[in-house]
Amino acid sequence: MNSYPPEFLVQLAPVMYVAGLNVQPPQATATDAPPTPSGQQATKQDPFTVLSLRLRDALAVQRKVSIWQPEKAKTFQTVFVEKDVSFPPRKAVRPEDPHSNAAHSPLSPLTPTSPLYPDGIIAPIWIRKHTTLLPSVFVMFMRIYESPVQSGQDDREREAEEKRRDTELSAEIAHRKKSTSERGIKLTVVLMASRRMLDDPTLDGRLTYIRRQSGLDPRAALFVLSPVSQAEIGDFVRSLQDALWEPALEYYTNHSKRVRRKRNRHSQASSYQLPLSPMASAGIARPLRPEGWTVRYEFKMACFAEFRGEDQVALKHYQDAYAALLIMFGSTAILPPRTKRWAEAKVLADCINVKIVKLYLYNNEHSLALSHQNSHMRKFADFSRGWGIGEETFEFWSWLARQHRVFAELLEQGTRSTLKIPSPYPPQAPSPAMLAAQSLEASQMGLEAMRVLGLNPNQALQHPGFYYYMAARCTERRRERFLGALESEGHQTNSPGFANEKKVDHLAIVLELYTRSYEIFRKWGTQTAQSPGRLTLWIAYRIAQTYYESGKFDMAVRFFERIAKTYRRESWGSLLHPLLSQWYACAQQLGDVELSVKLLIEMLGHGTKASEDDPDALQDDLLAVLKSTVPSATDEPLVVDLSEAKPILDASVVFWDPEVDVGTQAPFQLILSSQPNVSLSSIPFTSLAVHFSSDVPPVIIKHSQKDPDAEIPGIQRIDLGEVVVAPAPVESTEVEGPLRWGPSSSIIFTGSVSSSLPTQLSISKVVLTIKENSWWIEIPIIPAPAKSENALIAPRWLCSIEPPRFIPIRREDHSAVKVRWRSHQVQVAISHDGPALIGEEFPIEIRIANDDDRELDVVLDVLLQPTEIDEAVNYVAIDDQRSTSLLKAVACGILAPGASVVKKLYLTNAGAPGERVIDISVQSQSTSQPPTPVSPVSPTSATVPTLVDRTETLRTLSVAAVSPIGIEHAVVYRRTTRPQPGLADLATFESGTRDEGAAVEAVVTSTISIVAPSGIAIESIVLNRKKHAFAEIMDCSVDQDDFNGEWLAGDALCDKCRITVVPDERRPAEPIAGPGEYEVVWRRLLPDGSQGSRSTTHLPLPSLSPPSDGLVALLDAPTTARLHTPIPLRLTVRNRHPSRTATATVQLEPDPTADGFVIAGLRHGRIPILLPGQEETVTWNLIPVECGLVKVPRVKVLDRRNAVQVAGAQIVAAPPGQPGAAEAQAEGEEVEIVDVRCDGRPERVQDEDGNEVRVVKEHDGFVLVLP
Amino acid sequence: MPPQLRLNAVAFVSPQNHPILIRTFVQGQDELKYHYIAHTSLDVIDERITAAIASKSTECYLNLLYTMEDVAVYGYMTPLKVKIIIALALTDAVVRDADVLTIFRALHTAYRQSVANPFLRLNAPIDGYNDHAILLAAGSPKWKAFRKRVDDIGKAVGVVAVSA
Repeated sequence: MNSYPPEFLVQLAPVMYVAGLNVQPPQATATDAPPTPSGQQATKQDPFTVLSLRLRDALAVQRKVSIWQPEKAKTFQTVFVEKDVSFPPRKAVRPEDPHSNAAHSPLSPLTPTSPLYPDGIIAPIWIRKHTTLLPSVFVMFMRIYESPVQSGQDDREREAEEKRRDTELSAEIAHRKKSTSERGIKLTVVLMASRRMLDDPTLDGRLTYIRRQSGLDPRAALFVLSPVSQAEIGDFVRSLQDALWEPALEYYTNHSKRVRRKRNRHSQASSYQLPLSPMASAGIARPLRPEGWTVRYEFKMACFAEFRGEDQVALKHYQDAYAALLIMFGSTAILPPRTKRWAEAKVLADCINVKIVKLYLYNNEHSLALSHQNSHMRKFADFSRGWGIGEETFEFWSWLARQHRVFAELLEQGTRSTLKIPSPYPPQAPSPAMLAAQSLEASQMGLEAMRVLGLNPNQALQHPGFYYYMAARCTERRRERFLGALESEGHQTNSPGFANEKKVDHLAIVLELYTRSYEIFRKWGTQTAQSPGRLTLWIAYRIAQTYYESGKFDMAVRFFERIAKTYRRESWGSLLHPLLSQWYACAQQLGDVELSVKLLIEMLGHGTKASEDDPDALQDDLLAVLKSTVPSATDEPLVVDLSEAKPILDASVVFWDPEVDVGTQAPFQLILSSQPNVSLSSIPFTSLAVHFSSDVPPVIIKHSQKDPDAEIPGIQRIDLGEVVVAPAPVESTEVEGPLRWGPSSSIIFTGSVSSSLPTQLSISKVVLTIKENSWWIEIPIIPAPAKSENALIAPRWLCSIEPPRFIPIRREDHSAVKVRWRSHQVQVAISHDGPALIGEEFPIEIRIANDDDRELDVVLDVLLQPTEIDEAVNYVAIDDQRSTSLLKAVACGILAPGASVVKKLYLTNAGAPGERVIDISVQSQSTSQPPTPVSPVSPTSATVPTLVDRTETLRTLSVAAVSPIGIEHAVVYRRTTRPQPGLADLATFESGTRDEGAAVEAVVTSTISIVAPSGIAIESIVLNRKKHAFAEIMDCSVDQDDFNGEWLAGDALCDKCRITVVPDERRPAEPIAGPGEYEVVWRRLLPDGSQGSRSTTHLPLPSLSPPSDGLVALLDAPTTARLHTPIPLRLTVRNRHPSRTATATVQLEPDPTADGFVIAGLRHGRIPILLPGQEETVTWNLIPVECGLVKVPRVKVLDRRNAVQVAGAQIVAAPPGQPGAAEAQAEGEEVEIVDVRCDGRPERVQDEDGNEVRVVKEHDGFVLVLP
Repeated sequence: MPPQLRLNAVAFVSPQNHPILIRTFVQGQDELKYHYIAHTSLDVIDERITAAIASKSTECYLNLLYTMEDVAVYGYMTPLKVKIIIALALTDAVVRDADVLTIFRALHTAYRQSVANPFLRLNAPIDGYNDHAILLAAGSPKWKAFRKRVDDIGKAVGVVAVSA
């Protein structure tokens, strides 16, 4: 930005001239003032001086001259002047043409003395004229005369004096007023008066007088101010500016109008002005073209609009000016390239571009701003090609860099105050409120619409760091072109531009630009302490490169060091390689041999610069360094720690076994392989030390090679022998072998390791040593479990060297081996006679035998797994311990070798049959003291818990539990023949009385069968009666018999049991629990003939659900009769319906074919209406007249309750030819007749719909008639 | 007819920010430049991811990351956090997000198909290998299919006019 005239760039604001605030130098006042008696008086400042100083300060801070100032506060640019300052002349009359009516300003191209004469467009001086030489308002601070209080003058004298002074004041103001009003400048006078004066009643009159006399405007032209505090001065300055804002705008508007008039006149006149130009004939210099005038006027109007703060108007005019300028540049005839005017115009165009971009940015139109900036650069790049300063010249790149830089600086200034850089990524705002607003916006616009829109990446504004970066890049190109030009200087004319370019320190500029970019990137980045932003690293890399270019290698090295860290960590080899190369170059330049060696070794590891054609390049470099230089310290090794970077050799360790016993050899292989394309064949590795994780001295492999010129095989093997981890220190073993690697070759070190204590063994590191001349370099390599690059290749185990053959080890923990105690030889045998019977204590025998050669302390744990079987409450017991789940630490004592112990475990099961699972854990611990580590210096050896030599043997046992006895029930129900209690029988209403009428007799037939496969010995079977409200056992058959004895599987016993059941009236559908249970006491029959422990099984009676009845007829006849002896045939019609009455007819239908009885009694009749619960008995006398099984006469009972409806329906439906059928149906529903002698109903059966199904069986009654 | 997009370079970066594959389609240009662009883009991607997490967005497309010199860099992150970065030649025209997304989806598919190659795991240890290594291996010079797929996409972007 400094390369452009600041006048063209700064934000313009109304200019205010302030006069009369010039403070006298203190000495002057001191000498003038008579020496006062008191010393304090002199030091105390005049209040008006203080006021003036404060006013000056307050006015000066109103507005700072800056480029970025979008605020639209009504503030003025204050310029302090003398009261009698003169303005520059308005028009100069041309001396050679004094009669011309067109007088021009001294800055006009038409004025020969003007710097623009004859064809300049506009100069910065014009803006300077308006910012410093011409104000829009003129504020004059003056003191009003105040007559001293203490003077003894009389009033008249004083008034006269005041009048005289006021008149003088007015004259001064009037003089000033004359020159300002000529220019249309507003003049405002601020009279400073003491506070006492403000209260003076004559003040008003005096002020009016002064205004009249001086010809000041009536409005906002005269203020009075007394010495006030700082805050009040601020208020005053603000109100002053507010009052003067309008006149200032008016001033600039008038200017604009004047310029517009001139432009309009000019554009009309332009068609003929050109030939008429008096200078045309002169031929030396041509006057300004009409296009130039347009630019001039538009630019002026833009400036005036900017003064007024009208950004949009200013933007419009600037754009017009810019467009006109482009037209001018388009023609070399108008603006011949590489002339003074051309250069001026270029500067003007660049500046107008900055203004336009700035005005866009004020308005937050980022993409428009960026697009203008881009198009400016593109258009002028095109022009440049035409002017011969295209991309191949340094001028072009210098200019382009300047454009980027100006833009970056503008953005930087903007971002420091109001400018916000937008992000193209929508979810940038983390605040929920913003999110909500965004989502609302998105929903209004439609997400799809947004998606389709996309954006022009060229118009996405970024933070200024990017543009500084671009400027730096351009400057780099500029330097390239310049250096190119320097080479071919021979035919390059020593143009002033080129001479200038020679003086430029390009690299310093590049460095400055990069550094600024770096700072901005840091500011905008989100880097944390451990990871500086990658963007900043990139720029840091460029800075480092620039330092390198400019020969500041130490600075470059410092940068490289920091950058390399991140690149190593993120394994971006492609970025690291060039960095390392350049770093190495720096180290070479610096002569830092140690750093060079380190870098070369790291580069060897990365294979930087390596190619298949020349694998030796890097090692040759290293060898050269080693041979030709001497390290700074020779008595200690130079340790090249490559833990962060890629190691020089890939190391991997494979143990064959994941675990070995104490004292057993664990074979291992250590593979060190070199990178492809990198040969290490001539690097003088002298030894390799293999360090183990335990306290073992490292194994040293010394280099020895019989034939130094022999070709290095791809795979070599070196045997390390056996390594023993022992508490006592052992001499480190030394082995010899060739330590030379070609490109992608491997050396495999094989060996085995053993330990006398349980521990974890692995190879912690290997250290390569190079000794050459006085160099002693150590390179530690930590065998990585799996480097990310080759993690996909399983570690390999060399199984044959000729030909090389590998076995992949697909284990995760291949890089370490675990040494553990030998496990104890403990035999656990479990025996039992399954299955277990439910209810018994089932013995399980556990036999533990010590087959080891050590004495073992054995402890037993038993865990009974919880089951999901219903109501299964199981428990286990050993000795006196008893638990439902865990028996902990049952001591079995110390077992000598060969001894054994037997423990009996009792499992008791309840509930349903099923599997029971038992876990048995036998822990054995060696009683002999473990060999305590003698060497106290082994904190790295095995951790303490593993030192205890303990083995656990686990067994899991699954025992099937079956029930020993099965039971099946069959129930039938019979109706009682007892008479029903009367409906009004008061006894039935007493509490506790069962409804005898509803009582049913249930006959339960229980079949008890033996299921236990082993058979059981039954000691007793008893039916235990329980008191029950609705059921009562009347008798049962087991009461009479004794069933003791051995029963085998499949044996069965049947028991019959009669129960009176009175269904619960309130809940008739609910089953009634069985009123008793069978208790079977038994013992298991053991295979050896003895009997097990006594167990008891309870088998409950089934629950009862007696069927219900409706209207039922019970027919009772004796089973036998004697010939000719009358027997009664009784029919009881019982209405068991809970609510309905029953209307029934009884009909006796003697069998006409077999007339075995003479019948006396009702043949056909109607029974009185039966209320619910009522019964009616009809009796016949039968006299048998035949012997044998005689069929009882058939009795038919019809329920006529529904007969009417049924009959009606049938008559309609019946066909006329069959009246009999309808008639039979019409008589009513036939009621079931039950022969009480063989009454037996099953339980309620329900059909699919939940309705009760009644099985009505037709059976005839017979009577055996005996002679 | 919108101007054609020109794909200058494609980069696949693993979730651990290690490079998987970087392909450039511009002849005669410094390939290293695109390595740097891919690496530096991670910064912006990290920023975007943080913003995305804050706003609970699951959008894969990360939009324009930045423009630098003559390229516009766009980012995309697969659900499994593999980052795809493309560098488009900078032209003064609107680049429609839909077009960029199409390229990204194609690249994502190419990547997915390549990683699905069962032979990548041929020599892997049974346990202990990580998917990360497989991702990296997919881009290694040993496996050509991924390169070929990406190159095909690169060619297609240059040739086929992006749908209007």
